[in-house]
Parts: sequence; C-alpha cells; structure tokens
Amino acid sequence: MVAIDTTALTKRFKDVTAVDELDLRIEEGEIFGFLGPNGAGKSTTINMLLDFHRPTSGSATVLGYDAQDETDAIRRRVGVLPEGMELYGRLTAREHLKLCVQMKDAADDPDAVLDRVGLNDAVNRPVSGFSKGMAQRLALGIALVGSPDLLILDEPTSGLDPNGIQEFRDLLRAEAESGTTVFFSSHVLSEVEAVCDRVGIMNEGSLVALDTIDNLREHAGSGGVVDLTLESVPDDLSLGQLAGVTDVTIDGTQLHVSCATPQAKINVIQHVDRVSTVTGIVVEETSLEDLFNEYTNGGREGSGETERAAEVIA
Amino acid sequence: MSFVGVVRKDLLDVRRSNLLRGIGLLYLAFTVLFFWGTGSSGAPNMYLSLWSMTAVAVLIVPLIALVAAYLSVAGERQSGNLKFLLSYPNSRRDVVLGKLIARSIVVGGAIAFAYVVGLALALYYYPDVAVGDFVAFVGLTLLYAVVYVSIAVGLSAATGTRSRAMGGAIGVWFFLNVFWNAFPINPNTIIEFVANRLGTSVSQNLKDLVWSLSPTGAYMNSMQLVFPDSVAQQTGQATWIDPNAPFYLDGWFMLVILAAWLVIPPLLGYWRFQRADLG
Repeated sequence: MVAIDTTALTKRFKDVTAVDELDLRIEEGEIFGFLGPNGAGKSTTINMLLDFHRPTSGSATVLGYDAQDETDAIRRRVGVLPEGMELYGRLTAREHLKLCVQMKDAADDPDAVLDRVGLNDAVNRPVSGFSKGMAQRLALGIALVGSPDLLILDEPTSGLDPNGIQEFRDLLRAEAESGTTVFFSSHVLSEVEAVCDRVGIMNEGSLVALDTIDNLREHAGSGGVVDLTLESVPDDLSLGQLAGVTDVTIDGTQLHVSCATPQAKINVIQHVDRVSTVTGIVVEETSLEDLFNEYTNGGREGSGETERAAEVIA
Repeated sequence: MSFVGVVRKDLLDVRRSNLLRGIGLLYLAFTVLFFWGTGSSGAPNMYLSLWSMTAVAVLIVPLIALVAAYLSVAGERQSGNLKFLLSYPNSRRDVVLGKLIARSIVVGGAIAFAYVVGLALALYYYPDVAVGDFVAFVGLTLLYAVVYVSIAVGLSAATGTRSRAMGGAIGVWFFLNVFWNAFPINPNTIIEFVANRLGTSVSQNLKDLVWSLSPTGAYMNSMQLVFPDSVAQQTGQATWIDPNAPFYLDGWFMLVILAAWLVIPPLLGYWRFQRADLG
C-alpha cells in the first residue's frame, strides 16, 4: 500500500511555479524526510495533500484516497501538523484535545496525549499564554490523536528546544514502530539524518534527490575532507594525481584535501605519510549539510551540481 | 454530521469573547431601558410598544449580528486557526455551516435573553400582555438576527482577510440598512427616476415590494403576522389590512424574502470559500 502518491502535481501562483510536476511515492511504514530550503515548495506540496491548496494540475492520493475528492476519509486516518496552524488562544490545551477526540471519534485520553508531548503541567492553561515551543508540542499532540495511519508534519521541530527535539525523535520512532508512516518536512538537516529511512530534497519546486541518506552520500560523490598537519610540507606532494582527489589546499603546515571517495581518503593519508611526517589527522565525512547544499545550489561549488542530482533520481 | 465539532469549538471559544459579551449586554440594556421607559409612563399598549421596539431592533440587531459573525471564517483563515479544524474530519462546508449555527446560537441567545427580561418587565408594568404575540414578535426578531448572521458568515467565507471582511460588513450595513430603507436616495427613488425618464410610472405596490426586499423591510412588514388590525391603522400600515393587496406584500411572503436572505449569502460565500487556497 502506498501512503502518499503524487502524479505530476503542480501548483502555480500567478507567475510563480511553487511545485512543478512533482512525482513522489511514499511507501507505508517508512519515515520520510522532506527536505529543502525555504520556498522550495515543501509546504505547498503538503498543503495540496491536505486540500488547503488546490493543485493547478496533476493529482495526489493519500492512503489511496484522492486528496481533493475524499478529504473526509483522509482526515479521519491522517494526523496533521500543518504549516502556520494557529491554536485557539482562549481554549486550554485539554480543551483542544477534547475537541480533537470528539471530532475524530477517537478513544484517546486527552491527558495521556498531553503527557506524551510533555505538556502535563499546562493542561488547564489557555493557549494564549503558551510559548512557541509549548504550542508546537500541543500541535504535535493534536496530530497524534486517533492513532493515525499516517503522520504529515510540516516543520514539526520549529520552536522546540534541543531537549524537545530529542523527545520528538523518540516519539517519531515509537510511532513508526507501531506501523505509522511518517512524512515530515524540515530544513533542519540533523533532524532528517537522525530519524529518516529515506529523504527527498526539494529545490525550486522540483524533487532534486530521492533516496536513503547512505545512498545519497555515495551518489553525491564527495567522500569527505582529510586535514593533515605535517612537520614540513615537501615541495612535490603530487596529490592531485591520486584518484578521487578533487581539491588540495596548503596553509602553512596544514594540508586540506577534498576527496570524492572513502578510498581516496585512505590513499591520501598513505601517500602523504610516505613523503613527509604527519603530526595530526582529522578526517571529516561529508555532512548531510554539504550534501544538501550541493543539491540546492547553496554550496561553495554552486553550479554543476544539478546534473549530479538528476543522476540520483535517474 | 461533522459540523457539530465546529459548532462545539466555536461556542466554547466565543463565549469567552469580551466583545460578544459586550454587545449582548448592550442589547439587554436597550431592551430594559425601553420596556422600563415605556412601561412606567402613562397607559402603555403592548403592541405599540413592540412596534417601536422593531425600530430599536432594526437599529441594533444588524450591528450585533454583523459584529458577531463577520470574522467567523475570514479571521480564522487569516490567523491559521482554520487549519486546526480542517486537519480533522471537517469539510469546508462543515466550517461554514458550523459557524453559521454557532454564531446564530450566540446572537440569538443574547437577544432571546434580553426579551425574556423585557417580557418580565412588560408583565410587571403593562396592564395587558398577549404573551403569544410577544413570543411571535421575538421569533421574527430572532429570524431577522439570524438572517444578518447568515449574511455576515457568507461574507466572511467569501473573503480571505480580516480587513476585507470588515470592509464588507460595513458595506453590507450601509447598503442594506442605510441606503435601502433610510436614505434620501434609495432603490425606490432610483426606480421612480428611471420610470419618469421613460415616461411611465411605478405602482405603489411595486415600490412597497422593493422596500420589502431588504431584510429590514421584510422584517418590519412581517410584523403584520403578529399585530392586530387596530395596530396597523394606528401605525399607518394600510397595506397590512388591505384585502386587495397583492400576495407579495402579505406577511408570509416576507418570510420567503427573509428565508432567501438566510440561505443565499452562505451559499455564495461557500462557493467562493470552497475553491479558495488557504494560507
């Protein structure tokens, strides 16, 4: 069964194409991270899945139901944390959840849900007095009511403190273990790295990458960076001739070598060790952030990266 | 019937609104002053007092209803509250219908409460009170109030921002309450002017109908269903008792006009809202 399936989904606002012919398929049971910089089209996509926005063309199904024509069936089975949702300032946290339980005919105990999201000491306070993080916790609780088959969360960690983010990850894992499909968007890369089975990266309305994080790293081709401290730098290192070395910079006795593959890193260390005396080694893997920058043209290398991205999708 | 969830939420939320409490108290104050004032002077007649009361209702009820409902959908749409309701099994139709019902309950409840107090005062001061007719008067006034809630909810559903909804509400009030029935230049004078230019004339019946096509005109003329003939004479409403008056000036037809105002604005508002991109 497919949790989310979009076919050539497109949304244009006047002259801006927010989402351009998006084809996305999320299988049931996975945790999917939907990445992208601000304005990449993540929220617009989610808004179309939830029928807040009407697609210009194309179609989408959620849990097999048509996102435009069968919204009621979708809303019964999906837990949602939409972008820009505002709660009711005059109502308390418990009142919100009571309404949720009633509207979904769910069996949840409002207090138990509030306990899960760490709001047990604020159940009877009007939401107008909540901090941003507390409101976000409540919004998360609202998404969890009714044991949804699919969670669609738009920037769920915004406003949460590090502790809250850790709790949120645990919560997502627990939900996924009980069979819930999780689809969440973020521009905070560490979130996605830590919990997702697969990620999709959006840029300018199109999906530029769709894979597991490990595969993405491999495909992206940058193995990482080796920083070596030498006693003295010999005249002729000839590191550029090694396979997989993409860039070498020398700064005093510091050697900074960018490598395309893990093997290249080992080769660099062995080579330098033969011709000089190494006093310090730091090896960095490509962080997802570097990867993300590459895919979204935000990195130092800038252009030329979209071709690679296209390869990954193909 | 998932509009029930919307109604439940709205009643819970709105009853804590100071603005709505305030306008409810305002109407209560007017009603108390009115019955106290008319009741404690001379020999009061319930029907004449109620006829005067329609003028008070015409002045205040539309304002209360418009203020109570003009933000009902647009306000939540702009703030993002609406996404809470629409993330749950509530359709956009449920939102419009639920808001209409909830705000009607709030406005209707405030008005009904004011008249319960008014009835108590009338029973105390007035020598003769026909309770049945008093209740019928209150019923028509409640219908009038709900019509305005309906117009405001429809308007609110059709607009996307608070400022537009407010502009719309002021426009509606001016058009229907000032221009139509109480302005030197109104639909009737315009029709007359055009007819004069064309060299024909307009019958009084037609002018009466045009006047009654506004919610306020229909409400005031619907009072012929409540008041006895003697009151019609005293208040100068000849057509109420004219046996040759056309059907479209009868009391029941006024209810048809009010029903149209009740149903059409929310439908038009929903039609716009249903196709709109939210937030």
